[in-house]
Amino acid sequence: MKLSRPTLIFAFGLAVALLAGWVAFPRVLYSKKHQPVEFRHQTHAEKSGIADCAECHAIREDGSFAGIPAMEKCASCHSDKIGTSPAEATLVDDYIKPGHETPWLVYSRQPANVWFSHAIHVKRAGLACTECHSTDGQSDQLRVYQVNRISGYSRDIWGHSISRLRRAPHEGMKMSDCEDCHRRHHVDAGCLGCHQ
Amino acid sequence: MKVTRRDLLFWSAGAAAGLIVSPVPWKVLDDTSIWSQNWPWIPQPARGPVDVKQSSCTLCPNGCSVRVRMAAGWPVGISGVATNPISRGALCPLGFGAHQLNWHPQRLRTVRHGLSTSTWDAARAAFAKACSEGPVMVVDGYPGRAASHVLETFAQKHGGQYRVIVGPETRALAPYETMSGVPASALGYDLEHPQTIVSFGAPLLDGWGAPGRFTRLWADRAASSTDPQLRLIQVDPTLSRTAARAWQWIPVKAGSEAALAAGVARVLLEERLVPARGPMPPMTLAEAAAQTGLTTDSIRDLARTIAARTPAVAIANDDNPSIAALNVILGAVGTRGGIVRRSKAAKPYISADAPLPSLRAVLIDSSVPWDFTPQTDAEIFRFAAWDGGPTDGGPRNGAASNASSKPADWLLPAPGFLEELTDVPTAPALPVETYAVAVNLVKSPHQTHSTAGFVNSIDPALPTTETIIHTRCADLFREHSGTLHAQETTPVAKLASAQKLEEQLWKGAVWVGSELAEPHRSANFRCELKEWPTAAASSRSENWLAAWPAPVLPPLAAKLYQDSSLREPPARRNS
Repeated sequence: MKLSRPTLIFAFGLAVALLAGWVAFPRVLYSKKHQPVEFRHQTHAEKSGIADCAECHAIREDGSFAGIPAMEKCASCHSDKIGTSPAEATLVDDYIKPGHETPWLVYSRQPANVWFSHAIHVKRAGLACTECHSTDGQSDQLRVYQVNRISGYSRDIWGHSISRLRRAPHEGMKMSDCEDCHRRHHVDAGCLGCHQ
Repeated sequence: MKVTRRDLLFWSAGAAAGLIVSPVPWKVLDDTSIWSQNWPWIPQPARGPVDVKQSSCTLCPNGCSVRVRMAAGWPVGISGVATNPISRGALCPLGFGAHQLNWHPQRLRTVRHGLSTSTWDAARAAFAKACSEGPVMVVDGYPGRAASHVLETFAQKHGGQYRVIVGPETRALAPYETMSGVPASALGYDLEHPQTIVSFGAPLLDGWGAPGRFTRLWADRAASSTDPQLRLIQVDPTLSRTAARAWQWIPVKAGSEAALAAGVARVLLEERLVPARGPMPPMTLAEAAAQTGLTTDSIRDLARTIAARTPAVAIANDDNPSIAALNVILGAVGTRGGIVRRSKAAKPYISADAPLPSLRAVLIDSSVPWDFTPQTDAEIFRFAAWDGGPTDGGPRNGAASNASSKPADWLLPAPGFLEELTDVPTAPALPVETYAVAVNLVKSPHQTHSTAGFVNSIDPALPTTETIIHTRCADLFREHSGTLHAQETTPVAKLASAQKLEEQLWKGAVWVGSELAEPHRSANFRCELKEWPTAAASSRSENWLAAWPAPVLPPLAAKLYQDSSLREPPARRNS
C-alpha cells in the first residue's frame, strides 16, 4: 500500500510532535541542580551506626517533624574535618565553621498551603519511610535535584514518569497521590486535613 | 522536493494532533496553575521552625479557643481546641481562615483622613481637640474586655457616652431585663438540660451562639433519632437549615411568632399543662391560628408536645416579649434548663442604636461591625483592621435608613488577628461565666494601634489593657472558684498563685466559673408577668444569613461558606 504525500507529511508532523512532547519536553522542563554537599546516607549508616531514619529526621515530642537536621546536628560530629574528601571540606569550611545552615534542596518540599504530618503517617498509620522516600535513606550519593522550570517544585512531586502511568509506588506527591493513598486505606482527611 | 503551503498545513495538523496526545499541554497547564500560586506579591509563610500555640479567637464575642500553628513566628494554620468546654473543638469557617486575614488586600495600613493619607499624630491631635470641644461617644462592639474598661473609663472621665453594639443573642434576652431588672448581658440559656427547645426562628444549628456549643449538644442528644433526648422544635416561615434538621418544623407565616407564642401559652394555661399561673393572653386560639396560618388543633398539639417533655425553653430570634412571656408560663426562667442568671456583676449597657444626643465626635472601636454607621453629624474616628468598603449608609440589618449617617472621617488602622493583647470575657447566651486571654502572638507589620492604646496615649492616667488583665487574673485567683481548662482541668483553688493562673491563661487556658452541668442559678432572678405583652412586633428582624463578624473574608472562609452554601456573602466583602 502506497501512502499519499499528505498522509506522509501528516504522519511526519505527528511523529515530530510526539517525539518533542514525550522525549524532548521532559528534558527541557526540568533543570538539574546539585546538592550543596555530597551527602552519603549509606556511609553514615555504616560508619556511624545510624540505623534508624528518626535518629536524624526526628519527630519531636509535640508531633512536629524536625525535617532535615540542622547544622548543629552535623556539627556534633563534623566540627573538624573527618577525612580528606572534597565534600567534607565543603561542609566544614563553607557551612559549619561560618555557622551557615546548609541550603539542602528538598526533594519532597510541598507548597506552603499543604500541611503534612509525619507523626500521623509514621506513628499512627505505621507507614515506613521507604513508602514515600524509596531507598533514599540507603543511597551512596544524593540524586541530582531536578526542578520544574515553570512551577519551581521538585520533579519528585510529579514523579519521574512524565505520563504518571507506570510509576513506582513511592513516586509522586501530588494531591491526587495523597487522595489515592487515603482512598486505598479508607482514611478520610477532608479538605482541612491537609489544608489547615 | 518543493514544499507547498498545503504541505505545511498537513504537517501542522499532524503536529497539533501529536501535541494533544503528548504531555505538553496538560503538564504545562498543571505547572502554570502552580506557578500562578507563587507570584511574588502573594504572601508566603516563611520557612522555619514550626511551633504550636494556643489562644482565643477575637473576631467575635464568642471567643472560641484556637490552636495556632506558627511557622517561623507567623501563624499559618488555625484549628479548634477540644479542651474548651464551650466550643469543644469547633470553629466557624471564618475562624479557620483567620490567619489569612492579616494578609488581606483590604488590610488598613495607614491612617486615612477623608480621601487622603494622614498620620497618627494628626489623628491624635484631631481627637484631642474634639474631646476638648464637646461630648464624645465611644462605641464598643465587644463589651466586657479590659480594653472596654479603658474605653468606658475614658468616656466617663471626659463627660462622654459609652455605647455598645448588642449582639442578636443578647438582644433576644432584653425582654427578661425589662421584666426582672437583671441586665440581659448577665443572662444566658442553660441549653445543656432542657428536653424540649422551641426555637422561634433562632438559627440554632446555623450560626447561633458559640460555634460548636449547640451543634455538639444536638449531635449528642438529638441527631439521628426519631425519639431524641432533646426535642428541637423549629418555628420558621421557611425550611431553614435548622428547621430541616429539627425534630419538628412548624411552618408559620412570617412575623406571626408572637401570635403562636400567645396561642401556645393560652393552651398551656387553659388545659393546666404547666404548674405556673399567669395572665391569659388576650388573643384567642382562633385569632392565633388565623395569624400564624396553622389550625387551632395544631397549636394545641404543639402546646401538649412542649409540655410533655420538660424542662422546656423557648428561644427567640429577636427581642420578642411574647416569647419571653411564654418562657415565664413554661417556668423556664431562673430554673435549670431555661434562662439563667450567670453573673451578679454584669451591668446594663446602652445600645449604640438608641437615639443619640448632640455629639462632637464618635470613636468607634475595631470590634464594632463594619456595617454600623452612627446616625450623627459628629466627627467619626473609626478603628478597623480591614476596610470593608462602602456601607449602605444606614443602620445595620436592613432597618430604616437615615440620610444623616456618614462614613468615618478618620479611618485608623487597628491590629489584625492575634496582633493585640486582649482578654476574652463570657460569650453571649452562655449560662456560665468564662474568661480567657488572647495574647499578641504576632507583631503587626504595619503601624497600628488599638483603640484602647490610642486613648491611653491621649490620657496616660488611664489604666492599660495589660494592667487590667493582670488585676482581673488576681481577682479570679482571690475568689478561688471555677476551674481552668487546658490540657488538664484544674480547680483554681488548687493553683499555687495568681501568677500561675495568669501564666496558664496566657498560654491559652480557659477559666470557667462553674461547670456547664450545674450552671449558676440565682434565686433573685425572677420575672414578673403581670399582663400579657401587647408589643408583639419585634424592634428588629435579624438577617443571620448576611451577618458577618468581620468586614472581609479570608479566602479559606470564602471557599467554605460558598462551597457549602452556608452564607451568601455580599459581593464587596468577597474580594
